[in-house]
Amino acid sequence: MILLPTLCLLFLTVAAVENESFSEDVALRTLPDGRVATTFTFNTILEKEAPRDPRTLFDDQDESQHYTLFPLSLGQVLREYAVTELHLTLNAGKWDYDKWGYPSEPDVGSGASLWTWMADGAPNSIDARWSGLRNALAGLFCASLGTLDEQRTTSPVIPFAPEGSLPDWGIPHRLRHASLASEHVCTENLTPFLKLLPCKGLSGIASLLNPHRLFDADWHGMGIHVLWDPAVGVQVRMTFQTVTNPLRAGNIRKEDWSFRSLFDRRIERVCPVASSSQVSVGLPSRGMYNLKPEPHHITDNMGHYDLTKDFEPMDVSIKWKNAFEYLLEPITPHPMPISFRRMLHGNSQDRGQLVVTLDNHLDNAIDILYLETMPWMVQFYLHTMTVEHNGSVDNTLLSNLSYIPPVPHAQPATFQVIVTLPAQAHIKLSIDVTKAFLRYTEHPPDAQRGWDLPPAVFMPLDASPLDAKNETLTTYPRGKRIYSSPMLVDLATPDFSMPYNVIIFSCSLVAFLFGTIFNLLTRKWVVLKLDGEKEKEE
Amino acid sequence: MDRLLAKFRAPKTGNPHLVRIQRRDKIIALVTARLRLIVALLFIAGYAWMLILPTIPTETTDKIDENALLPAQINTQWNWDEVHAADRYLDQLEHLRDTNASSAERALYLQTEFLKLGLDASTQSYTFSTVVGDSTGVNAYALLAAPRTPGAEAIIISASWQSRTGEGDGTLNLRGVATVLSMASFVRRYSHWAKDLVFVVSDGYLDGMQAWLSAYHGVSQPNLLADNLDIATSVVWVALNVDYPGHSFSHLGIFHEGLNGRLPNQDLLRSFRRISRQTGGSPVILYDHIDNRDNHKSLGMLGSMLPSWLQTPILSIPQVRKYIYHASNVLQHANYQARGIGSGTHALFHKYRIDAFTMYALPATGPHGFHTLGKVLESTLRTANNMLERLHASLFFYMLTSSDFSLKIGMFLPSVICVSVAMMFHGLGIWTSAGWTQIAATATELEKSKIVVARRIRPTLPVLAIMAMTHAVGAVLFYLVNTSAIATSSFRQVLVGLVIATLPMVLSANPKVASAQQDEDTQATVAVTLKALNICLASTVISILSVLNFSLAASLAVLLGVTLCIPIPSGSSAKWVAYVAYSALGLGWLAIPGEVERMVWGWQMLGVWTCPIVCMIYTPLVLQAVIVCKLT
Amino acid sequence: MQTPSSSAVAVGLVASRLLLATATSATDYLIHDHQLSSPLTSFRNLQEGIYLFNHGINPYSGGVFRHSPLYLSLFATVLPSSKTFASILWTFCDVVGAWALVKIWHARQNVSSTPRDGLIAASYLLNPYLVLPSLALSTSSLENTLTLLSVMFAAQGRASAALLLMAVQFHLSLSTLILIPPLLMLLISTPASSLALPKPFTGSTNRLPALIIEFTAYALGLTAASTLVCNGFSWVPQTWGATLTLPDLTPNPGLWWYFFTEMFDHFRDFFLMVFSVHLLIYVAPVCVKFQYDPLFATFVLAGVLGIFKAYPTLSDPGLFISMISLFPEIYPHLRHPLVTALLHLHAALLLPLFHQLWLMQGTGNANFFYASTLVFACGNGAALIDCVRAGLRLAIGKEVEGMVVIQE
Repeated sequence: MILLPTLCLLFLTVAAVENESFSEDVALRTLPDGRVATTFTFNTILEKEAPRDPRTLFDDQDESQHYTLFPLSLGQVLREYAVTELHLTLNAGKWDYDKWGYPSEPDVGSGASLWTWMADGAPNSIDARWSGLRNALAGLFCASLGTLDEQRTTSPVIPFAPEGSLPDWGIPHRLRHASLASEHVCTENLTPFLKLLPCKGLSGIASLLNPHRLFDADWHGMGIHVLWDPAVGVQVRMTFQTVTNPLRAGNIRKEDWSFRSLFDRRIERVCPVASSSQVSVGLPSRGMYNLKPEPHHITDNMGHYDLTKDFEPMDVSIKWKNAFEYLLEPITPHPMPISFRRMLHGNSQDRGQLVVTLDNHLDNAIDILYLETMPWMVQFYLHTMTVEHNGSVDNTLLSNLSYIPPVPHAQPATFQVIVTLPAQAHIKLSIDVTKAFLRYTEHPPDAQRGWDLPPAVFMPLDASPLDAKNETLTTYPRGKRIYSSPMLVDLATPDFSMPYNVIIFSCSLVAFLFGTIFNLLTRKWVVLKLDGEKEKEE
Repeated sequence: MDRLLAKFRAPKTGNPHLVRIQRRDKIIALVTARLRLIVALLFIAGYAWMLILPTIPTETTDKIDENALLPAQINTQWNWDEVHAADRYLDQLEHLRDTNASSAERALYLQTEFLKLGLDASTQSYTFSTVVGDSTGVNAYALLAAPRTPGAEAIIISASWQSRTGEGDGTLNLRGVATVLSMASFVRRYSHWAKDLVFVVSDGYLDGMQAWLSAYHGVSQPNLLADNLDIATSVVWVALNVDYPGHSFSHLGIFHEGLNGRLPNQDLLRSFRRISRQTGGSPVILYDHIDNRDNHKSLGMLGSMLPSWLQTPILSIPQVRKYIYHASNVLQHANYQARGIGSGTHALFHKYRIDAFTMYALPATGPHGFHTLGKVLESTLRTANNMLERLHASLFFYMLTSSDFSLKIGMFLPSVICVSVAMMFHGLGIWTSAGWTQIAATATELEKSKIVVARRIRPTLPVLAIMAMTHAVGAVLFYLVNTSAIATSSFRQVLVGLVIATLPMVLSANPKVASAQQDEDTQATVAVTLKALNICLASTVISILSVLNFSLAASLAVLLGVTLCIPIPSGSSAKWVAYVAYSALGLGWLAIPGEVERMVWGWQMLGVWTCPIVCMIYTPLVLQAVIVCKLT
Repeated sequence: MQTPSSSAVAVGLVASRLLLATATSATDYLIHDHQLSSPLTSFRNLQEGIYLFNHGINPYSGGVFRHSPLYLSLFATVLPSSKTFASILWTFCDVVGAWALVKIWHARQNVSSTPRDGLIAASYLLNPYLVLPSLALSTSSLENTLTLLSVMFAAQGRASAALLLMAVQFHLSLSTLILIPPLLMLLISTPASSLALPKPFTGSTNRLPALIIEFTAYALGLTAASTLVCNGFSWVPQTWGATLTLPDLTPNPGLWWYFFTEMFDHFRDFFLMVFSVHLLIYVAPVCVKFQYDPLFATFVLAGVLGIFKAYPTLSDPGLFISMISLFPEIYPHLRHPLVTALLHLHAALLLPLFHQLWLMQGTGNANFFYASTLVFACGNGAALIDCVRAGLRLAIGKEVEGMVVIQE
């Protein structure tokens, strides 16, 4: 009885291994503040395949696509718009670098964020394909990516260098980047995400992705990364990260966790088509705890479980001996090279001051690339930009400023500068900004909430300062991107209820003044006797 | 009606323009003849309106305009565990008080407690320096980052170390602080927060919060030395301030007036009222005025002002008791708003467009305590947490006559506007009549001795110069009272007042001014013109202030309205009386003990506009009247 | 300023002004104020443009910088753009403006000095509508000075100077265009007051074509210069275009901003056209009616500009109000000076107050400030109408008992 399904399964697996492979793994580690960071990674590789050359878009007939593991719906989109590299992330919450350190997937800016590399030379322009791609992905992931229009699209090539490699077709590749901080991520985005996996959410590690628990976490984010590596082929990496707080529920004093407590599930069966499928658990360095079951093997204090061999339903769990105590001092050494704060000061609705403070925790100077992609509603006064280092102004710490001014109603500003942080320095960068006044049709429905400004990006550069003028990609080192949290800016709102009244008032005033003046100018003067007839005329 | 029309209907015959002009002249004559009457009526209407404000039938404040708030619609989780936690915190706080620990020690303790809860906590030390004394202290604050939110919005829960009882006379707000601490340990267990929660325990009464808010919004103040904050700041829409001085309470009182008369959005107060009634089961009152109309022993100052033999018969009338209760609320409101300093720590938030109020636990022997307060606070937090956008419907212009009833702007503004319009008419009347002089008909004219009127010019430029001068004097006065020498010694203040009071005599001794009043046939006297312009200016100031700070405008209307308009008596001795009276009206505030000090403190520490307005607008206006009375 | 008293007054005023501008921090408070400097005249925007220009970024590629390339070239090369220097320069320009006003007065009276000089100078130097903008370093003060200078030269009959300055002024703010016809008339006739006895236009009209050609030459020259400065025509839509299309809806005391904030998108262009053309309508009738006194026509059109131009600041009505001091003959015929003054007083107090209520305190909404701009427009309108009426009424002569003068 059991034989038949097993056979089919076998065939499936055989069919799969032709030129596609799928691997999955989940890594869990306890963070210093008692929270638990979980990272799911699902890799699908299309071996010896290359992204579509945009020039082949001229002939409308594309080669047919037969995938068994590779997500077809995504593949079609990629070929339709000839996308070389694509990164889509949907995050909710604020990644607390100072407590949690670097995330295992770098793109943690909250809200939706999409960036792609596409080659030029197609019949329709890159921007046309970019908007098409946006809408296609919006449909695919039920996210409002369609609103990432020209008013939010920038192309900062330095921090967003390609992670794979770009095929050498002799045509230039272009970057398109846009982010939407106010996007809310929830179940409706997870379901299509699971649909792209070969085993959906039914078996294997993906079966732990239980929406009820995931979306109750302190932080969660999903990502789809498509990139090309000539050695490997086209690779789709799908990730899901969460940070859950075992200490939140009730009066628990211990940071114990298990699959059950985190996901309210355990892994019942493996995903048969997965070439590798492993669970890794970070082994905490402090305190006494008990990890069950025993890891299959341990490498640099990570315990690994390989699900593909002699599998029985598993539920990993850590139990601690003592109650958890919060640290009363910041962690040393600091988990990050730098820490930062980004604030919009001032209490007026027509202007403000953008203040960014940066702390260098290293004992050597470091260069930070600082990128702002500001919507045009907030305009910088660059001439007011000052850098304070330990209280004294020192603008020489800034270099390689590149700035694309915003165009009202059309294009956001791209502000990019390299800040040199001396060892253990605390510097404060401040720029005066002015807030635009919008037409009443341009305001969102809840106008009084204000506008979400996209997160800024900081990137430590481990090389010498570079010149931002000739942006040849290869010259730039791969620093890790650090995302600030988005900001809320409230713009002055007009009254939405009375456009007619305004038009009527203004027009009648103008008409009155106009009429009176012309009366005076045109009418004839006469002198009257109060007790009688007209006397003389002018 | 027909007769009225007939009055204006001109003879059918004749040139239409002539008809029009004649009709116009008739109407003008009709109005000008009765100008005094109209002015008097407007004055009476205005003042009467002010008097009946407390009795105006008002709409109940049950309606919540903002639909997102959904007040009192949750099951509160706050329970006896939290109450015990609060009690434990209270013990430690009382220990700190008994060992009279320094600000730094207190702040350190609070910071540690917050850190133990896993919140990002820190302290901020500050120093204010004003001519009336410096003040230093250390604030403690903590941030609870809400799950799944980018942390762009926040709600502030604050308690000042000193209670507002007696405007920070040293009564401590220990239970308020304890409530904030246990609330911090309580809220972190829930994941339904959509906004970061910021907990602030500010040192002192107002100074601590002022320093903290300035740092939070990156606003620099020349006389303030304060650390920067260690938390990334975000947009704040609502702040709740807890004040719990007693050991238990009977009512929750609302204190809502902010600096310079700014009021929080009324929806917030309405929601709080509903929550505290339905969730907390605690009655809500305005300020600390208990509404016990049933026994007329305790009816506030108004009740006790009546002679004792009158109290029983009069106060037995329910309407009178209602009136007295509402009137005392309105007076209290006017007091807080006109003095501009606000009614508590919440006042400082308003400057930054944060709607805030103080929930004041009225000290009593019971029945309520931490349990009620915690439930109410939690539920109010949840309501504030529901907000999708800033409270904006224009519910900022209102006047609470009790916790249940409020007046809309249209119901109280006209009272002041009436007075100011009356003044404007009066001023214009004087101005026009100053432009004409009466010449008795000469014999050569027709035998019917009719009165011939002739135009005459008005000395506008010298008058404007005089007015500018008085305001310059006001500016000097403002500078003087802001120097430590004057602000701290009441003797010097009186001296300054006397000096300024003598200035008009010096001015009128000036030959130029004296010469300006020769020959009344060709030129109106300086005095009359000055009076006219002075009244017009005063009226303008009052009507414009009324939008910004109604109570201030109302008090100006009461102080200046009639007093500026009454004609100057002719007798020389009476003139002197008037002179002294006006001077006292204009400069008397210098003699009130402590008043100058309070105003200067408010201006230098919190930026309250009362001091500049009094020095540079009110006093000069009265000085002009003094000059008028000297020159006539 | 010949009479010692007046010159002393002037010196005192200038000194106090310099003190205010340099010693106190008044500038830092006022420089942000929307009523004192519009996006087209704000000193901060000018500094920003210069910064971008010096860093090799085309300032006209963004939406912040809307000043004329003339300013750009001037401040980026010749003049330092530091605040202290700027406040000295601005004060100096005000003094020049006051001097020009006095000179115009002299030309009109055809004398070399009168006792009213001090008064006229004071009316310019003490006018709060002019003092505050120049404390806020709004370039509109410079433009006022230019206008007055060119009028002065025109009154003195020095054609080239007048035309050149007017061309510059036309470059700095497009709407000054409507002052050119009366200025040309002034050039070919006399500035003397003939309001009392109207007569048909007496001027050598055959000089007109030459003058127009000269003006066009200057204008084209400046255009070429500007185009060279920022190699390309990118400055045209940013500077002149802004006055016509109103891309920046920052509040100001004028009538345009809120109207076009609340305007429905598909009517926007239509009403933009209507408002722009409406300014031009006044030129012909005023010039025809006051053909016997072109200076007065200039004055009236300055008033029209003060009310109806696209990005006004307080200094535009301020210019009109100060110019009233040039026409003492109309004073007796003003109908309601006090009412107008009180209207202005109300508006002047309401504008900053409601601005504060809306943008700082957040208690009042935009309609508050809009209402106060309406009051302000009423005040300016009342002043303008009263002046026009008095200017015409003057011709009829003194009021006689039992007689009344009306229009039919």
